[in-house]
Amino acid sequence: MRLLDRLWGSFPAVLMARRNVARAKTRSALAVAVILIGVVAIGAIGAGGVAFQESQFETLGSIGADLQVFPGEDNEHGYLSAADVGRIDRVSGQAEIVPLNRENADAIEGGSTVGTATLYGVDDPASLYEVREGSIPANWRSGVLVGSTLADRYDLRPGSKVTLGRTTVEDGRTVRRTEEYRVKAVLAQAGQADIANPNQAFVLPPSEFDDGAYAQVIVRAEDATAANETAMEIKRTFNGRRQIVSVFERGDIAEQIDEAFRLINLFLVGIGAISLVVAGVSIANVMLMSAIERREEIGVLRAVGYQKLDIVRIMLAEATLLGALGSLLGGAVTLAVVAAINDALLGDPFAFPTGSLRYVAAGMGFGVIASLIAGIYPAWAAARERPVEALRG
Amino acid sequence: MTGPDDSATVDGADDAADPDTGSTPGSAGEPAADAQPIISGRSVVKAYVTGGETVRALRGIDFRVDPGEFVAIVGPSGSGKSTLLNMLGLLDVPTGGVVELEGVDVETFSDAERTRRRKETIGFVFQSFHLIPTLTAVENVEVPRLLDRTPARTREAATDLLERVGLGDRLGHYPDELSGGQKQRVAIARALVNDPGLLLADEPTGNLDRETGDQILAEFDAITDEGVAVVTVTHDDYVAQFADRVVNLIDGTVRDDEEAVTG
Repeated sequence: MRLLDRLWGSFPAVLMARRNVARAKTRSALAVAVILIGVVAIGAIGAGGVAFQESQFETLGSIGADLQVFPGEDNEHGYLSAADVGRIDRVSGQAEIVPLNRENADAIEGGSTVGTATLYGVDDPASLYEVREGSIPANWRSGVLVGSTLADRYDLRPGSKVTLGRTTVEDGRTVRRTEEYRVKAVLAQAGQADIANPNQAFVLPPSEFDDGAYAQVIVRAEDATAANETAMEIKRTFNGRRQIVSVFERGDIAEQIDEAFRLINLFLVGIGAISLVVAGVSIANVMLMSAIERREEIGVLRAVGYQKLDIVRIMLAEATLLGALGSLLGGAVTLAVVAAINDALLGDPFAFPTGSLRYVAAGMGFGVIASLIAGIYPAWAAARERPVEALRG
Repeated sequence: MTGPDDSATVDGADDAADPDTGSTPGSAGEPAADAQPIISGRSVVKAYVTGGETVRALRGIDFRVDPGEFVAIVGPSGSGKSTLLNMLGLLDVPTGGVVELEGVDVETFSDAERTRRRKETIGFVFQSFHLIPTLTAVENVEVPRLLDRTPARTREAATDLLERVGLGDRLGHYPDELSGGQKQRVAIARALVNDPGLLLADEPTGNLDRETGDQILAEFDAITDEGVAVVTVTHDDYVAQFADRVVNLIDGTVRDDEEAVTG
């Protein structure tokens, strides 16, 4: 006896199931096909959803647990003062804070305005931005950093010169200042939701701005919970009846976006799951037909001493075998489909996000379980039949 | 076997005192008077309800089958032959009377217990062979023992049996690659794989030509020599002549053997 025969001999129910699956090839193939479709529906929709979410986050940029503190609508100055920044720093505890100046400016070329841009004043740009070309000077006193979109538009590189014109108020008079700056670095493209998005902006040292007039203060909290507490604390400190500051919790947004994606994905996977229910019904149908077709055969098995539960086991092994076949093939097809989705959305076919493989595995698991469950009734119906009736034909 | 109206029993229990162990009708193979029958019944009644009507397939018959005897049950269609065979095979329970397998009332068995006893004690040869088409000859013989998880021993037993019935060169053939006689011999080997004490055969030669039928009967003869009781239901006079004892069943009762009606 060969080893393989011995192995099969240890699983007689599987041996019979395997032969029966092979007997009605077309029918088995169709049953496997529906399971396969069900598994692909769940796996590909789920994993595709994860890839889509991933790709959306790539465009949005990181939405961390940061807080943004802006002047509130009852703030007389319309800006946050140095004293305000100090108070924010105090109530924020360990969290790093980044005060930000903001103004509008004109880009000037050859004496005429060629466009408008945002000016940010940042004390420590390295904490906010990444650099595409050049470098941020360690001693950041002069020069300008250029956002990627502007750099491309005006063809600016580290070392180029740019002329900016802006209107400021000095000693109660409105003054038009035009100054030339040397580009120190071009910043990397930032996501749409990134804080103080620099793509369309020039970043200057804070000394270029009015002292103590900040457009916003960013508080880099450790996590969403800390951010929430800090936000409450800041509001308590500044706002009584009047809204001196407004606090924007980015963690909230991140959570809401996550939740929205999760719900959409769950909904889609639910639709996919329906196809697996259909697959289960089809397996039940196949198994019932098989049971009816093999009525006499099962009668013989019962006559020669197979217990009802033995029959149930053989039939369930058959249903599970169909499910396992469908799930394995379905898993392979799903991986291929997800790889295609990854390629399209994330630019790399093998960039399987963490959650994505989980959906593939879940699809395969459900495929087997659905088949097993679908096999229960036909198996029981076959086992319940009295051998005398079955043998009578 | 006797009917209740046949107060003078004609079965082996009484005749066993007779040293003549030939094929005299009504005498058993070679039972001793006190030998325990493999299966016996007293006043066995089986009634079905079909279409609102009660059909009494067996109307209170007595029977006993002793080890090593070859009994032929004959009778016209609808006489209750198959019902009796089902009763002997523990596939059915009587609605009245008592059936005892090796001295134990089968009524006391649960369904699972009856199935287990069937497996241990009784071998079946069905009229239309009922081999499993997806399994090879040797696998078909193994079927009753497949779930025992002793694949090597089962394979050995199955191979021996097939060699014994002359199919040693057909082990790996599927049923559709075998002739009728070969299939029936596979079926007999399957019936013997658990070393039963009782072999039940429903029209074992019904689908076979005379020559093949002879081979099958010779096989049964060899089996009874080993102490296995063979009970067969048949329409075939030829088979009846071959038997140690003929039980003539008409309308659910046992008739005197001399008036045997076959066909």
